Amino acid sequence: MIRFNIAQWRAWAPGLVSADDWLRWSREPRPLTDDDAAPDVSFLPAMQRRRLGRLARMAFSVGWPLAEGHDSLPLVFVCRHGETPRTFDILSELAAGQPLSPTQFSLSVHNSVIGLWSILRGSTAEMTALAAAGDGLEQGMLEAAALLAEGAPAVLLIVCEEQPAPAYADWIDDVPFPYAVGLLLTPGDDWQLSPGQTKAEAEPCHWPHAVDLLRCLLTRQPHCHHAWKNRVWTWQRIH
Amino acid sequence: MSDQHPDLNLEIKRLIIDALGLEDITPEDIGNDQTLFGEGLGLDSVDALELGLAIQKRYGIKIDADAKDTRTHFSNVTSLAAFVTAKQAA
Repeated sequence: MIRFNIAQWRAWAPGLVSADDWLRWSREPRPLTDDDAAPDVSFLPAMQRRRLGRLARMAFSVGWPLAEGHDSLPLVFVCRHGETPRTFDILSELAAGQPLSPTQFSLSVHNSVIGLWSILRGSTAEMTALAAAGDGLEQGMLEAAALLAEGAPAVLLIVCEEQPAPAYADWIDDVPFPYAVGLLLTPGDDWQLSPGQTKAEAEPCHWPHAVDLLRCLLTRQPHCHHAWKNRVWTWQRIH
Repeated sequence: MSDQHPDLNLEIKRLIIDALGLEDITPEDIGNDQTLFGEGLGLDSVDALELGLAIQKRYGIKIDADAKDTRTHFSNVTSLAAFVTAKQAA
């Protein structure tokens, strides 16, 4: 069982940018159509944002405003599938016997997004990139709670997934639409997260866990349950 | 010297912008004799590799990354145009 505060949040999905957009969606959740649009990151100079792929733009657009004013802010970056469009492009070039783009290759590791974050923010705070399964939000929250327990005044948690390349559609079924959720976590007792277990495999959450937590937060639900395989996580609002 | 290959200069500027994803930059923003790497336009070592690959693909020429004069050829648009012209004539 861990306790913490969610001091601020930011989220992005196709057509959902502002807090009001998300509040409306939370009251009537529905599938979103991906329009291939990437969020605005014009707060970065053009020379700096040229290497940011769509996933990085999503992560930066939610994380950057949350990080403002924090000198040394640890970051936990959670993404299960990574930049699959980039991976697919690189593999296609390899299959065709073409030389690989050095830029694409240099960005083809899971922690490239936090690497870019570190360079562009000039931050040497502790950063972690996790690729967990369906309960990446909760695994990332555990990591963040450990950093808070070690004395960090705040931790930034970013959970994001990009629309997978069409070639992977048969295997990736947990990304209904691209999304990024940023949570600025601080020490406190507002929220409690507890792990639990079920014998049988429980019904999975209808929305990605991070998006569902936001829905729960915005509609002021007292708690929500996120089941993944035989694990059931309970998020509970204490205050 | 700078205007020796006006069409090729423009083509190379477009290649630089496309290959390196330089948002908000137009060919007019890049001077023929402007230094491309480090100070000047501000490109870095990954850009150098990417631009080398783009030039090899576009003009079908081989670039030796270890050759001493490669650095000179890549110093600005004028020197790149001269290099491409010389390689294509060879």
